[in-house]
Amino acid sequence: MKKTEENVRYDKIVQILRNSSPDLKNPEEIENEVIGRIQPQNLKNGRISDFIETLFSWVYIGWVRRSLIGISAVLIAIFVYQQAFIFRQVKAISKNIVITGNESSDVSSSVLGRRLTLYRMSSRLSPAGEIRIPESQLEELLDSYNELQVKYKDLLRIIEENPELKKTIEKKLKEEKNNKPEI
Amino acid sequence: MVERELIEECRNGDLHNFRKVVDKSTPLIFSVAYRMLGDEDAARDIVQETMVAVWQKLAKIKTAESYKTWVYRIAVNKCYDQLRKLKRQKENRYDDQGWAVIANHLSENGIAELENRENAMIINLLTNQLSPRQKTVFVLSELEGMEAEEIVNITGMAKSVVKANLYYARKNIGSLLQKYL
Repeated sequence: MKKTEENVRYDKIVQILRNSSPDLKNPEEIENEVIGRIQPQNLKNGRISDFIETLFSWVYIGWVRRSLIGISAVLIAIFVYQQAFIFRQVKAISKNIVITGNESSDVSSSVLGRRLTLYRMSSRLSPAGEIRIPESQLEELLDSYNELQVKYKDLLRIIEENPELKKTIEKKLKEEKNNKPEI
Repeated sequence: MVERELIEECRNGDLHNFRKVVDKSTPLIFSVAYRMLGDEDAARDIVQETMVAVWQKLAKIKTAESYKTWVYRIAVNKCYDQLRKLKRQKENRYDDQGWAVIANHLSENGIAELENRENAMIINLLTNQLSPRQKTVFVLSELEGMEAEEIVNITGMAKSVVKANLYYARKNIGSLLQKYL
């Protein structure tokens, strides 16, 4: 009798609970949240998988395809690292030389030659390795060099025009040469 | 439940049709999750997580016919994990107000329809001392009205284990009803 009563109570309470299905409020909220979570993921996955599909569609065996994708990823990573390393090295080397003016093709060979001479001179004066010449000083040096060249040419012209002066200078030069001790 | 064509379309990446699948699956998942966890927010989270998992694994589903079992499996597993976590923190205490509500419903002639909160309170009171396994089997069998075979497919338990857990759940709840009413 007691057992039956217990069973009746059990059955009734279970019946009540079974009949009272939980009521979900605002199901569209859940729907939107689910779609919101899926969409960006779907878009991203879609693009990546499309790209991988295009590249490796010729491989039919799953593990071979995965291995190839892995190897490709490693190779790409090595390539990027190598490029970054080279770029860094080039940047470090370029810091060691200061070249002024335009390096375009309109630079005449004589000017370039002069610049090279200056560069050689400066490297002889500076210790090996890093050479740092401020741009303004280098320009000043080039200007004075050019001025010197003009003055030298003028001097030669004046000497050519005046035979007496030429003779005197030649005589002086000979004397200088004779007086100079031989090493 | 969810038509075969809808599932097939979703497997091809159709998000518009997946919205319909979510719409149809949500009440079922919510019902199980709410009855198992007794918390509306937690149940809503389970619905969301389950549907996201469904979308991610849709390609793995063998046939569209097995969708219902499959979606229940995902949801029940998530609830089961949650129950195990909650079980560690839970403290058993006597709730005389809750038992008074149960006594009141039992004394009524008809079968009352409960509000969400009252529903959760009664389930929690009756299943408080059950293990997560027993509670899962009780909810699926007694409240969701599933057959043992279906519960086997969803939970992955052996049929004998399902029956044993259901037996102990009934016995435990019966003794509680006898003790407090």
